[in-house]
Amino acid sequence: MKQRLLKSALAACVMALCFLAFCMVQFTNADEQISECLNCHRQRNLNANEGILSSQLFCYDCHLNPASHEDFRDAKVSLQVKPEYFQQSSHRFVACIQCHADVARSPHRSLSGVTCLQCHINFLGAPGTHASHIRVRCEACHTDSQFVALDIAGNEVKLSHTNVESLPISLAEHKTTDVAREEFCTKCHASNNQVGAPTMVLPSKSFVCIACHYSPLRMSNPIFLVAIIIAIIGIVGTLAFWFRASVQGEVSSVHRKFQLGSEVVWSKIFSREFFSIMNTIFFDVLLQRRILANGVSRWFIHSLIFYSFFARFALSSFTLLLQKVSPGSELAMMLVNKDSGFVATFNDITGVFILAGVAWAMFRRYVSKPEYVSTEEQDTLALIIIGLVTLTGFIVEGVRILITQIPQQIALSAFAGYLISRILSVVNINWQWAYGYLWYVHAMLWALFIAYLPFGKLKHIFTTPLSLILNYKKE
Amino acid sequence: MAEQTIQQETFWRFSVLQRTVHLTVMFAFIGIGLTGFSMAFSSMAPARAFAWFLGGVDSVRYLHRLFAVVLYLCVVTEVLWLIYYKFILRGNLLGPHSICFTKQDLSYFRDHIGYILALRNAPPPFERFAWWEKLDYWTLFIGMQTMGLTGLLLWFPEFFSRFVPGYFINLAQVLHFDEAVLAVLYKFFIHTTVRHFRPEVYPGDWTIFTGKTTKEKIRRTHPGEWARLNASVQANSAGER
Repeated sequence: MKQRLLKSALAACVMALCFLAFCMVQFTNADEQISECLNCHRQRNLNANEGILSSQLFCYDCHLNPASHEDFRDAKVSLQVKPEYFQQSSHRFVACIQCHADVARSPHRSLSGVTCLQCHINFLGAPGTHASHIRVRCEACHTDSQFVALDIAGNEVKLSHTNVESLPISLAEHKTTDVAREEFCTKCHASNNQVGAPTMVLPSKSFVCIACHYSPLRMSNPIFLVAIIIAIIGIVGTLAFWFRASVQGEVSSVHRKFQLGSEVVWSKIFSREFFSIMNTIFFDVLLQRRILANGVSRWFIHSLIFYSFFARFALSSFTLLLQKVSPGSELAMMLVNKDSGFVATFNDITGVFILAGVAWAMFRRYVSKPEYVSTEEQDTLALIIIGLVTLTGFIVEGVRILITQIPQQIALSAFAGYLISRILSVVNINWQWAYGYLWYVHAMLWALFIAYLPFGKLKHIFTTPLSLILNYKKE
Repeated sequence: MAEQTIQQETFWRFSVLQRTVHLTVMFAFIGIGLTGFSMAFSSMAPARAFAWFLGGVDSVRYLHRLFAVVLYLCVVTEVLWLIYYKFILRGNLLGPHSICFTKQDLSYFRDHIGYILALRNAPPPFERFAWWEKLDYWTLFIGMQTMGLTGLLLWFPEFFSRFVPGYFINLAQVLHFDEAVLAVLYKFFIHTTVRHFRPEVYPGDWTIFTGKTTKEKIRRTHPGEWARLNASVQANSAGER
């Protein structure tokens, strides 16, 4: 025992030494390497207000002058920065070249535009609305200009350089939008807008949507609050009912019941039986051995629904975690964007699987009716809710692809959604107007799912694994 | 624990809740210490390596705050437990079973120091929690409030500088760091040594992890509690007769 301890201590020491050596090589010279470049290429110290102000003055030399302009389609467009706006903004202690990163060169022209996300890495962390506006450039909303345009080829919504009469307008004022004002949203979310926005201003997703979609940690809409309250009442009721029974001989004191029950859980977790419980979790809960024993087709139907939901939940939770731990990383941005190839295809495949599972189950219950399948109302209700949630999800996706005019090569990743969008495009309805209502139908169906969770058939999502784990020994 | 009889060799000392809170605090404290010091000593190579390993300073900052929230949730749990103990279980917060300091702890402290200096023959009859156990608990409990407050100031400087002058943020930074050093020194050296490395308990006192303690241990380390247990058992058996 002692020798083993000694050996592991030695191994730990060696590993720690290797780690330290690695640190010394990898990290000690980080600063010196950077300063080598800056030995010749001197610039103002943008980490101090003095450097920032002196850098700003350099730009102001021309851009404060009311006469500074550029020629655009035979018209003069002002390039004057209005200090009364800029000095009021929260960027007043930021140097111009920190946002307009590629203008300090010749020719004096920006190709990339402002680089907001270089500093606002965690832009998805703040209000939940950012995630659904991922293809909208920041300045399109946050600059006080009424004119926005959709660049279909670049799949971007950006500030327009022209007004409704196609006359060039100046964007140099640097007046930012007050995000509390309603016009902030309605400049795009208006009927018959040209940027592919739905007419209705919709709330962001709620955290309960995490079962299938990446969503921010917020309640977002009262319908979800109502659903959660109903669900909590159901859960508390179920737990109260369970704790009415006796626990290890204790019948009256709930405190003692909790104490004894938690003691059992603790002793199982920290004992060798933990591995047999893990065994049960792996085979019976994850691989659903018992359902397989009941029949292959039954297992297939259940798996189509269960694994699809499980995979979607896993991906969206992972996205949320990644977005929190490593905001702005390429992977996080890709996973948050529902139009990115992987996410779109993944969501459509899992959605199709769920629909196929529901359809197959319905077929068995109401058409082929094998003898061993007994149908109760509860089963039908659960199947209908799951089926409708998925179906409306696809319709909402199809309408979104249709109205946002996502380029075909991007939209095709969501193969089912794209197909639906093509079919819907034949129907002559104002889809920008309809989108909001369809979104609410989908959201309310999910709220219904949440509220119904502890009461009907759906509670097996929690109770079946629990009873399998509790009865692990009876194998 | 009146229902336990005198014949038993093992006794329950900590409930599952207390064990869970201790485990959580333990890991969160290690985590918050590692992330915090890797930020405080960001000019040093091992700290940079650690930050790189976690995915950059943003992740370190995020994890540090996550651990802080977890730690503070543990404090909230303890407060809720004390409320539950007082009002539902009808426990006495100044009674012999309580973790709270009482006047008696002062005299026990004096007697204990006397015992250590060989001025007394026997240690005082400690109740369920001895003075250094209470100290361990309350240093962390109170430390969490001050660390939490200075931490919040550093987390939301824009918000707090609406109410307090700007130099409070610098002050918070200094205090946060200094108290972090104090807390880490206390927990990693004094607490660990007193609880696990004393010759009496070396290589470790597992009571807080298993919840179990022995008759012998109670008799030796908490004689007051032992006497009370005996008295209650005797009273019970007398009542049964």
